[in-house]
Amino acid sequence: MKRILLTCLVLGALTLMLAPLTSLGQRPMSAHPELDHVDLDCSSCHSCEEPTIQEPCLKACPRHAAMQKTGQHQLSEAPDTIMLAEIADQFQPVRFNHKLHAEMAEMGQDCATCHHYSPEDEIPPCKECHGGEANPTNLRQPSLKGAYHRQCLSCHREWSHDTKCVVCHLPAEGSGVVAMGYDSTDIIGISHPVITEPEKKVYHTPYEEGPVVTFYHKEHIELFDLRCVDCHQEENCSYCHDLQKPAQLAKSQEEVHAMCNNCHLNDACSKCHDTKERPGFTHASTGWELGRYHQGLDCRACHPTGKRISRLSNDCVACHGGWNQENFDHAVTGLRLDELHQMMECEDCHVDLQFTQTPDCTGCHDDGRTAEFAPPGDWINE
Amino acid sequence: MAINRRNFFKLAAAGSTALAVGKAHADDSGLTVDCSDNYGVLVDTAVCIGCRRCELACDQEHTKSGRPPESFDDKSVYEKHRRPNKDAFTVVNEFADPAKPDDKYTMKVQCMHCNDPACASACLVGALRKDAAGPVVYEEWRCIGCRYCMVACPFQIPTYEYDKALEPRVRKCTFCYERITEEGQMPACVAICPNEALTFGTRQRLLEVAHYRIKSHPERYVDHVYGEKEAGGTSWMYLAPAEFAHTELPRLDHSAIPTLTETIQHGIFKSFLPPLALYGLLGLIMHSTREKKDRSEESSNHD
Repeated sequence: MKRILLTCLVLGALTLMLAPLTSLGQRPMSAHPELDHVDLDCSSCHSCEEPTIQEPCLKACPRHAAMQKTGQHQLSEAPDTIMLAEIADQFQPVRFNHKLHAEMAEMGQDCATCHHYSPEDEIPPCKECHGGEANPTNLRQPSLKGAYHRQCLSCHREWSHDTKCVVCHLPAEGSGVVAMGYDSTDIIGISHPVITEPEKKVYHTPYEEGPVVTFYHKEHIELFDLRCVDCHQEENCSYCHDLQKPAQLAKSQEEVHAMCNNCHLNDACSKCHDTKERPGFTHASTGWELGRYHQGLDCRACHPTGKRISRLSNDCVACHGGWNQENFDHAVTGLRLDELHQMMECEDCHVDLQFTQTPDCTGCHDDGRTAEFAPPGDWINE
Repeated sequence: MAINRRNFFKLAAAGSTALAVGKAHADDSGLTVDCSDNYGVLVDTAVCIGCRRCELACDQEHTKSGRPPESFDDKSVYEKHRRPNKDAFTVVNEFADPAKPDDKYTMKVQCMHCNDPACASACLVGALRKDAAGPVVYEEWRCIGCRYCMVACPFQIPTYEYDKALEPRVRKCTFCYERITEEGQMPACVAICPNEALTFGTRQRLLEVAHYRIKSHPERYVDHVYGEKEAGGTSWMYLAPAEFAHTELPRLDHSAIPTLTETIQHGIFKSFLPPLALYGLLGLIMHSTREKKDRSEESSNHD
């Protein structure tokens, strides 16, 4: 009897000792499968050791890798004006012209100028993460007040060299705060003037071997599908907007080179510099004049890799290798095949997959017919 | 300051006892007491916009100088460097790296609330003391107006009410002692700062935040948290976009200012043995010479 009791005791003690280990093993290692690809441990988001659904003890907005990149968004998705009324007892609500500011940010870092750490698919408002009070458990994160002011004043200070409250905050009635003869309401509803991008710019440079640089601005944007910020990276609001000095629109030689070098770092000087003005880009100048089907395509449909556009093989199968008689609608070539020819393999007519040449029908038909006079279907006239 | 001679000596005795007890702990931990749980403030001069709201809040909370609030919008004050005075416990000044004169940044100065304050060490009557919460607290009813604190402070912070004939006080930033210890609030300047360039918290947490900011924005800051080690560490600490040599903050050793003087003085009076030995020796000499004298007198009497 004693022995049994002793065994029970030992077993009980062992179970107790091992209990924490087993519970560790049972803890769901992947409670958030959507975050599996992100290098995170539980403590990145949860402040307690064992978060539950009832008490998740979430840290305010962890800045994990998945949130480092703000996705591309359109201005039309964003609100035009935002009313910020958190301290309506002291000031009138701040009428923040979001549209105007977002338009200006297009020359800076786009939405990410202000909306840092946003997930790819959405842009949360400031107060989603920044609370009304300074968070004593997370001193790294400013409160809503700090977040707003940091965003606004970092540019406004450079723009107006002023930090007066009444630039944004109109005093509430009966608050005792005195307005200082500055009215910001005139800015509400204003839209940023459309920035007209130049068609072509010709620079005359001191470089003797190639003094003329012809830069097709619009064509560059369209050809390479560029956003303003891809080249104009360091141009924050105050680059153009400063109440005390005129807009600094001309760039220094270093600044211009730095912009081009984003893509052209490894190119020779002659890539841009020439002795005379250059014509704009035509695809024919590359040795491949685009036919009626290719003309309508976006450059990126064929030249997808990165920023640089590389020369492609002009062999059809280099791009269209996936086509066969099953999935290719021959009618797009202008010739709808008859039933008999539809059954055949591509190579039966296009010997060695030479699609650029008109097939020779004599391989099958010994009556000397040609595709032009006795087509293997109907020519479609559009 | 209503203090008579008798009270003064009573207080002097009490103060020196208190100091001795306080410092005993300091000596245990080597250089200074452990201040990691003290309250402090991290001043991020890269975030500061120089709006001078902190000056306004401090004036309304403490000095009540009667300056109109609009006067704190005046940026022309940056043309010359100002120092804290009896009517302004904190002032904001503007600085720039001489290599980049256009990149100006602003920095508020006030009492640094040192971990081991030289002013408290110099004070004869214990009118200044380092509170366990962090602030270096001034008790004007103890003060005898010797102004040793003003000489001792490496940051030249304490100022004096020279214009007062009766009961002049030493004036300096209080770290809003009552606000932070009794009311559970942040100091007035921290609470008003619109950009939250001032962060209030325990010293240890602030240091974590400071090093995190330097690590995540190495382009924005120099890798130096002023006050982490200077003068044995201070409760108020600074981050800056350029070397601190360009600012008015002095270059200081890492050892606490009172270390040298206190080592000498405490050494001399250690367990009261050196004085006892000295006086004992003197007594012995006296005694021996007196005996000789007595004997010689006796012998002369015999003659």
